[in-house]
Amino acid sequence: MRHLNADALSALARREPEAVAYFREHLGTSCDTCEQFLATHSGPDVLDGQVDALLLGMGPVAKQDAPLDEVGLARVRRGLRQGRPDTRRWGLIAGAIAASVLAVVLVPRLRAPTPDTDTDTEWNGVKGPSGNIALELAVVARAADGGLRRLDSESPVEDADVLLLRYHATEAGTALLFQQRAGQGPELLGRFPLEAGTHDLEGPQGLAGVSLEGESGPVTLWLVGATGGQEPTPEAVRDVLVGGSSAWEQSRLAVTRFDVSVGSGQNPR
Amino acid sequence: MGSSEGLTEWVLRASRGEASAYSELYRRSRPMVARLVAGFAPLDPDEVEDVIQETFVRAFRALPRLKEVGAFEAWLLSIARNRARTRLERKSSTRRLEDDVADPEPDTVPHIPEALQLERDIEVVRRLIAELPEGEEKRTVQLFYIEGELSAREIAEKLGVGKSAVTMRLERFRSRIKRELLRRVLAGRWE
Repeated sequence: MRHLNADALSALARREPEAVAYFREHLGTSCDTCEQFLATHSGPDVLDGQVDALLLGMGPVAKQDAPLDEVGLARVRRGLRQGRPDTRRWGLIAGAIAASVLAVVLVPRLRAPTPDTDTDTEWNGVKGPSGNIALELAVVARAADGGLRRLDSESPVEDADVLLLRYHATEAGTALLFQQRAGQGPELLGRFPLEAGTHDLEGPQGLAGVSLEGESGPVTLWLVGATGGQEPTPEAVRDVLVGGSSAWEQSRLAVTRFDVSVGSGQNPR
Repeated sequence: MGSSEGLTEWVLRASRGEASAYSELYRRSRPMVARLVAGFAPLDPDEVEDVIQETFVRAFRALPRLKEVGAFEAWLLSIARNRARTRLERKSSTRRLEDDVADPEPDTVPHIPEALQLERDIEVVRRLIAELPEGEEKRTVQLFYIEGELSAREIAEKLGVGKSAVTMRLERFRSRIKRELLRRVLAGRWE
């Protein structure tokens, strides 16, 4: 008795009449050997995908208007640009950082509150008279050898560095982290919860760092905060960032930016 | 299968380079890809996200070469399964790192006729589930494929069994379905 193996599967993929005729009969009854082979080998063609589509289609009907996973899509876009999807995890990596290194909190830019937001009665559920959030950002570079150094904005960094972020927020809320290269639009890296006070930027996977692998030249990090219940969409934030300082003023967002200049390992420490 | 119909337009537009079409394809396809990967219980949440990301990166990169746009969903899910298997096998060190489960070449994916037999296929699956002896495997299959809410990890916790055991049960059942569908393919049901 013959069972499925790599040769047989190739023959079936080529629609060889003898193989087709034999296995059409053989597979008509349960065969542990063939099923074991099918479980551990792909194909023929996209049969695996058809099987999975059928099986997954047995469950509850999925929502047709499922919301777009912006963060996931940003990861995919990033992976498409990099060409090596296995080598980086969206540029966001887990890392350890000594909080003491970040004792000095930098304040690159802050959004000033506007009169409108101060009197808006729809802004509920947040602390403070206006519900505004103020956000400050500090950045530390972790070198390939594990060494840490605090950065000033516009500092030179190396493409092997990982940028670790620490923030100070006056309110709890949510922040979106964007990266922007010269001449390009802001690219979403992730969404992070904010707690009032000074904390490392941390997501579900742990402390967040931004890998600079593959980058060169000016790179800007944007950390954009909003209080709970006022979380903007990434598109809305992009519009604000592209709109410049006047757009920041009109938004209810706390916009901070941090600029670095990425070299290829030749920058002085 | 059936849901591929709604994707065809977006696949065509994406293959022409429309960036918004890729977003729409991602929005529509991600839940099913995520559900498939959720069947691999030994993968932790980070690994699941990596697999999903890698699946779409590979698919989107190769999409312009996909000749049969109606096969997009099956092709995408084939890639997702291969990526999940590769990640799982690397994790368990049963393969050398450089080994990789090859994805179906997009320019050789065959035409998949409209799912005229979909109802029959569903009946086949229902029959095979009904024929399973009462027990843990049947319960696992029902929880994952029929009720469709819990991940394999969550099912393992619910049933109080190991993560690998749940995935093995799902894979064993799936191999029966694959055998049956292959037999039907060979019998000419898609010819």
